Amino acid sequence: MTVAQIVFILLTIVGLGAAFLVVTTRNLFHAALYLIASFFAVSGFYVLLEAGFFAAAQFLVYIGAISILFIFATMLTRTVRGMVPRNSQWQAALFIAVVLFIAMVAMFSPISFSLPTRPDRTFGGVDWQFAEVPGKPGVLRSVPDSSILDFGRALADLNQYGIALLLSGVLLLIGMIGAIWVARERKPREILAERARMAAEEAAEAARQSVGAKIPDVVVAHDSHH
Amino acid sequence: MDIINNLVKNLGDGIAAGIYGALGQGLAADILIMVIAAIAVFAVASGGFAGLTYAERKIVARIQDRVGPNQAGPYGILQPIADAVKLFTKEDTTPAEADFWVYHLAPIIVAVFATLTFTVVPFAPGVVGTNLNIGAFYIIAIGSASTIAILMAGWGSNNKYSLLGAFRTVAQLVGYEVPMLLNMLPVIMLTGSMSLVDIIERQAGWNGSWGLPFIVILPLSGLAFLISGIAETGRSPFDLLEAESEIVAGFHVEYSGMKFGLIMMGEYMNALGVAVMFSVLFLGGYAGPILPPYLWLVLKAFGVFLVLMWLRGTLPRVRIDQLLNMNWKFFVPLSVVNLILVMILGKVFVSDPALFKANGGILIQPLAQALIMGASSFALLIIALAIVTRRVRKDRMAEAAILLQRRETNQQIAASVH
Repeated sequence: MTVAQIVFILLTIVGLGAAFLVVTTRNLFHAALYLIASFFAVSGFYVLLEAGFFAAAQFLVYIGAISILFIFATMLTRTVRGMVPRNSQWQAALFIAVVLFIAMVAMFSPISFSLPTRPDRTFGGVDWQFAEVPGKPGVLRSVPDSSILDFGRALADLNQYGIALLLSGVLLLIGMIGAIWVARERKPREILAERARMAAEEAAEAARQSVGAKIPDVVVAHDSHH
Repeated sequence: MDIINNLVKNLGDGIAAGIYGALGQGLAADILIMVIAAIAVFAVASGGFAGLTYAERKIVARIQDRVGPNQAGPYGILQPIADAVKLFTKEDTTPAEADFWVYHLAPIIVAVFATLTFTVVPFAPGVVGTNLNIGAFYIIAIGSASTIAILMAGWGSNNKYSLLGAFRTVAQLVGYEVPMLLNMLPVIMLTGSMSLVDIIERQAGWNGSWGLPFIVILPLSGLAFLISGIAETGRSPFDLLEAESEIVAGFHVEYSGMKFGLIMMGEYMNALGVAVMFSVLFLGGYAGPILPPYLWLVLKAFGVFLVLMWLRGTLPRVRIDQLLNMNWKFFVPLSVVNLILVMILGKVFVSDPALFKANGGILIQPLAQALIMGASSFALLIIALAIVTRRVRKDRMAEAAILLQRRETNQQIAASVH
């Protein structure tokens, strides 16, 4: 077994184990931390595939931004410990997850468990990783990584992912406008009306909860038969 | 001269050759060399930490007309050792209701991710942990992990003050990451690479003729990067996450002994990391005349750290609303405008003949290009400051007018009552 294989197995164990704990732990805050561990393992996979840029992007976007938002939202909820790790939508979610998993396996079939081999670093007779900058003895040049260049060109090319990039930009803009609208300045009367509405909704929710815990499950089971 | 200049590199090469001689080329020798190199990088970082705590206490004391540590050894120079001994022998307390694993893991994560920054810093030609081709991006990514650690510390302590400190952290650290990244981009664009070695080499030989640090070409980016870097490390005047008078000590109020030491170490290493990053990105890193390269980097980083100490010793703490307004309403828009300006200038005034042939534009000398960019960046900075100063003055005047009116009304009421 090579070192890369050992690292791959360790990363898989960490990633899958953490992902399993995310959905089973009863402490919301711990679930968010396990999610970070899972993201970390995915970032490790990128490193193993020699895609350093994507590893750093995964780290920055998922661990540095999205997880922090999760944790922040978690801290603002009232009950963090002792939550039931299921809600009324779990059957529908399970169904979609299974369908997606089968689709993914079908896409990548025939299933191969062979590991990616290390690409040849000697290119044109030069060992690039340890090549020195010409005219500067002792200065190592960086490994030429064409993947960032290819990535940038593919994003800018309208025949490849240009449209997708523009569309995601529009989506982000919509999100930003929505955030500004939500956080806009309001008159005291509007705020009071909103609070009254929220209180009424909460009371209705509490009344529904007190009737019995089984009701939501029954409703969802009924829905999924449609 | 070459012997002195390449001292560190030759030392490392000698050790590596010795290990290969003893163990032969193989996995064991490779791993041993990597471990030694990792320890060397950690020693540099933690040595810097120990030295900087002493230097900072002494210099801030001098700024504030105090003496500072003067008991342990001559001029108190053994103070860091005394501090370490004290921290190791202190009782290590854990709050009864603490979240055990989260509470104990947080200081370790803070220290580890602060140290990881130094793995990509080039200390001298050929002396670099790993010359990553995404070095600058890697540092930003690693830096974002410290936010998680602070959140873990704040939550795990199960203390209201800790939690408040952690909440402030999210607003501040996540916010200031944006201008930091936006002001790193012009440097990366002008270099054409994210590798820190390439960035230094680009500054050392501006088109092969002579050196020109990026602070001259991009003064606005440099200034904004330094300020957002200070905010990112949570140092004074942006030390809201541990404002003593408001939330005791913020997220680390429950930590004692060496766990507190680790958090302190992580903070100092982050500050040192910002100083080193600023030296590498904007001051030319190890490039410089006469002195050997590793001394240049140390000198530049210490110079930047002196500025941080100077700010800490003299400026009052900013308020949270001022902090966030300054970020989202001043730094981020200004950085975006600056980025667009650099993009347009870089396309119009071309100094590279090959690029000129490919894309067109106006072909000029590298020095002229640098001067045009520097002058326009400086002009943008002046314009932005003028606009903000006028705007802030207007707001202040309006506030003062309201206060005056209120006071007059109160006096009238008081007069009518009597």
